[in-house]
Amino acid sequence: MSEKLLNDSILQQVQSVFHKLQEPVGVLFFGTERGCEYCADTRQLLEEVVALSDKLSLEIYDLEQDAEIARRYRVDKAPAIVINGWDGEKPVDYGMRFYGIPAGHEFSALIQALLLVSEGDSGLQPETRQFLHELNQPVHLQVFSTPT
Amino acid sequence: MLALQMALESPLVEVDAVEAMEFPELSERFQVRGVPQTTINQGAGTVVGAMPEEDLLIEIEQALAG
Repeated sequence: MSEKLLNDSILQQVQSVFHKLQEPVGVLFFGTERGCEYCADTRQLLEEVVALSDKLSLEIYDLEQDAEIARRYRVDKAPAIVINGWDGEKPVDYGMRFYGIPAGHEFSALIQALLLVSEGDSGLQPETRQFLHELNQPVHLQVFSTPT
Repeated sequence: MLALQMALESPLVEVDAVEAMEFPELSERFQVRGVPQTTINQGAGTVVGAMPEEDLLIEIEQALAG
């Protein structure tokens, strides 16, 4: 058994905010066998996070072997993480993707994404919500960051 | 992350949180120099650094109008 990626202090912090989880959240992992330096660690990290709440579930996919599912989620690189909500038995894609190992700031963002989808409230200001509801074309935001 | 909140709010908003160093080609394509960098619609707009909600909204509006 390999060593844990999340230390006790982080585990406790995450556990304390996971008390706020309400609705179930589905986490999808996409890895690849083709030269992926961080796939194994990303998968392990997700397994450790998902184990902290029974509201969270994890599905493991491979970019090549599960090409159809990857295409459906428009995932073209790995490691990739998709955060889904649920409408009954049906997954709801909120368009949230993480590419690369979620360490540092990205880890906080991942936890935030899980809470957002589970709580179902964006917390945005009324003007922002109105603007977003009136959108008539896609908005693709790519947020680049580094672990530190 | 503001972008994630927007993704939750609208089915038309899609957010990729990208670890810049793991995907150098993508970072190079969108000329990532400082982080966080938010690239709007394939470079129609670019925002470097964290910014308040209303400012990001303006940037998105401008990117869509341009």
